[in-house]
Amino acid sequence: MVAPGPADTGDGDPGATGPDGDLPEAAGRRLAGGSFSSGLTVPDFAACLQMGLRPVALVQGFCVMQWGWYGAGSQYTRGMTPFTYGGQAPPGVYSESYSCPHGGFVYSNEHRIWGQNYQQPWVEAAWAQGFGSAYSRMIEEAGEVGAHGVIGVVDTTRHLADMNVTEFHILGTAVVVEGGGTPPGATPWTTYLAGQRLAKLVEAGYMPVSVVAALASVRVWAYCVTEMLMEGTLSRFGGNYMPVSEVEQLSRAHMAARSLAREHVRGQLGNDTLQGAQIVANTQSLSQGDEVIECALRGTRVRRFKDFDPMPAARPTVRLS
Amino acid sequence: MTQPQDLPKEAGHRLEELEHGLFTSDLSVNEFLLIKEAGFHPLGFVMGSSIYHTGIQARRWSKSQELTKLTEAMYNARELAMTRMEEEADQLGADGVVGVRLDVNYYEWGRDAAEFIAVGTAVKAEDGTSHRNKLGKPFTSDLSGQDFWTIMQTGYVPQGLVMGTCVFHIAHRGIGQTLGTVGQNVELPNFTQALYEARELAMTRMQDEANTLGATGIVGVRLEEKSHQWGSHTIEFLSLGTAVTKGTGDVTLPKPITVISLDN
Repeated sequence: MVAPGPADTGDGDPGATGPDGDLPEAAGRRLAGGSFSSGLTVPDFAACLQMGLRPVALVQGFCVMQWGWYGAGSQYTRGMTPFTYGGQAPPGVYSESYSCPHGGFVYSNEHRIWGQNYQQPWVEAAWAQGFGSAYSRMIEEAGEVGAHGVIGVVDTTRHLADMNVTEFHILGTAVVVEGGGTPPGATPWTTYLAGQRLAKLVEAGYMPVSVVAALASVRVWAYCVTEMLMEGTLSRFGGNYMPVSEVEQLSRAHMAARSLAREHVRGQLGNDTLQGAQIVANTQSLSQGDEVIECALRGTRVRRFKDFDPMPAARPTVRLS
Repeated sequence: MTQPQDLPKEAGHRLEELEHGLFTSDLSVNEFLLIKEAGFHPLGFVMGSSIYHTGIQARRWSKSQELTKLTEAMYNARELAMTRMEEEADQLGADGVVGVRLDVNYYEWGRDAAEFIAVGTAVKAEDGTSHRNKLGKPFTSDLSGQDFWTIMQTGYVPQGLVMGTCVFHIAHRGIGQTLGTVGQNVELPNFTQALYEARELAMTRMQDEANTLGATGIVGVRLEEKSHQWGSHTIEFLSLGTAVTKGTGDVTLPKPITVISLDN
């Protein structure tokens, strides 16, 4: 779940790590090559040199994960939630239930008299394992070239071909700090930032520690009201018009997914702060109002190392880019 | 390797006209300004093309493997297009080609055939010094005019657009494999290693090209993945970047200044 940083104080999640020494042979040959490679744009490359960072190699890590089949998440196994209707979720796990407001009268076999939102920790753990393994491999490559840090990190996840597997891919440009020493724990620091944004961060008195990322997954079993609002059929029960109303169950599920992602990341920060947070939510609509909401939050864990230098006076300019 | 006579007759006529002072380019106004600022002037828009039959290669349903024939074909086709573009630039007496774009197009009339096109703007140093690469050819680069100016400010000089490719077949999963891991969140090491290997091979080949040019490094590396027309289990991993060498003179990088953009 967490990308281990150079000076990890141990107060965050330990994170998943991949096995050591499992880089492919071609990686070793490439990293031993004579020229450096870098995924930096030219302006970022120039800014990198200006800051005294020397690019040494483009480093990357991968992990292909099989996503387990979750009976609880399948539309064919409604009711097989990890927490029974009205039951208590384990401590720290989000879950809330909804009951039919129509007097308990069952209009048909398909009338959904209950619904539930619940967190899927097993999905989050699988994501953390895939991300953590890919990250560890990138760090291993960076270690092989003697890098002090990795800048301009980009991570992607995608479904592979037509199989039920997901690939995690993380890459970045390994750099050496000119005249700098080995980072604490000999583990390179990492950051999503590069170029001007990294220069401004350092100028502002912060140093990057590591990239942090987490996924929160919430499953929505819609109850009758949510189903009807989503399908536009509530008028059957509420008269001849469709009132404008909030779909409360979905709103709360979306809020919960974002909030959980933030909590996961917070757990990885220790006493440091998060810079450049990016939150991406994906919703997979199933049927009858059922949904899976997955929310990924990523950013760079940063630590203050000096007082903020006063910024020079700004001057207007016209860019040629 | 193509010979200059490979170029079509019309290319010769067009390039002859350019030799009389008129220039063409796909540079934007800002790029044009910065190319001039860097001490170069555009000579002409140059291109190279190759229509290539990519053929087929047997692949095993359950085996992840590099499809070497296809890798070779994709590589050769791009090389042909690039070489023809370089020949056009050479004919203009250019020092290099900037803003190179490499595209692959498929046409309805040619099943299994693809057109590989390389286009860019040939440039020449205004002070007459040669900026050709170690092989005596005009340098090529996919850098924009802005990036070209910036890289020159850092003391690095483009040597060539370098690339590496690897066409890889990803195995299908058998029933036994699928059943063996059903319901589990597990890494699939065979797939991880296969994809890892494929990308590393592409990047290694790109670095080998850079080493041939005597480059110090490669900037702006891009890793592209396309299935073209082969189906989802066969993927081309293409690694591209501009090889650069450190210039001989000492360069002091200007200290950045804070600016307020008036663009927005």
